[in-house]
Amino acid sequence: MSVWKTNDPDTKKILYVQTHGEKDPERTATPFFLATAGAAMDNEVCIYFTMNGPQCVAKGNGDTIIIPRKGGGGKELKFFIEQAQEIGVRFLVCQPSLDLHGYTMDDMIEGVEMIGGAAFNDMACDADAVIGF
Amino acid sequence: MTDVIKEDQVLDCSGMLCPMPVVKTSKAMKEMQSGQVLKMVATDPGAPPDMEAWSRQTGNELMRSMTEGGKFIFYLKKK
Repeated sequence: MSVWKTNDPDTKKILYVQTHGEKDPERTATPFFLATAGAAMDNEVCIYFTMNGPQCVAKGNGDTIIIPRKGGGGKELKFFIEQAQEIGVRFLVCQPSLDLHGYTMDDMIEGVEMIGGAAFNDMACDADAVIGF
Repeated sequence: MTDVIKEDQVLDCSGMLCPMPVVKTSKAMKEMQSGQVLKMVATDPGAPPDMEAWSRQTGNELMRSMTEGGKFIFYLKKK
């Protein structure tokens, strides 16, 4: 059974892949807000966090990762995370990239789901678009 | 002279930036009945192409898109 939930052939499936985390705060918000826009267009949208990506959805990091803005007044990543979750974007991680940071699922925020490499590839093959960051 | 479109609901997204106008529009339209019209007002310069794309993807008709006093105004009909 696919990780994708829709059976409606008219609903498009978009998979975002986020590989960046704490070290690159300027690269963390975009996948969330593009995914939010995608979900607002009645698509099914997931973000897969791999490499440093799981840092974006680790508990507490939503407050500490600040999206910089020239001239000051950056926004906390939490804002973009909550906006995405509220509209139904699902967050996925895999075990090896949790191990990379010494994380367990308990370190992840509420709602994060665990998948494996096979499920990821299966999702990618079924998706209408896969977008990597 | 273009026909006047009568809206059932108004959504002011002035001052909001991408993707908020799309998100708010999506939420508002979900609560409306088929055939009803939403008038959405935005100032984000990305709103005109965004609303066109949103309409094309969701199948809700963009009846009219116009600019008035520096604001973008959209009339959207729920499918």
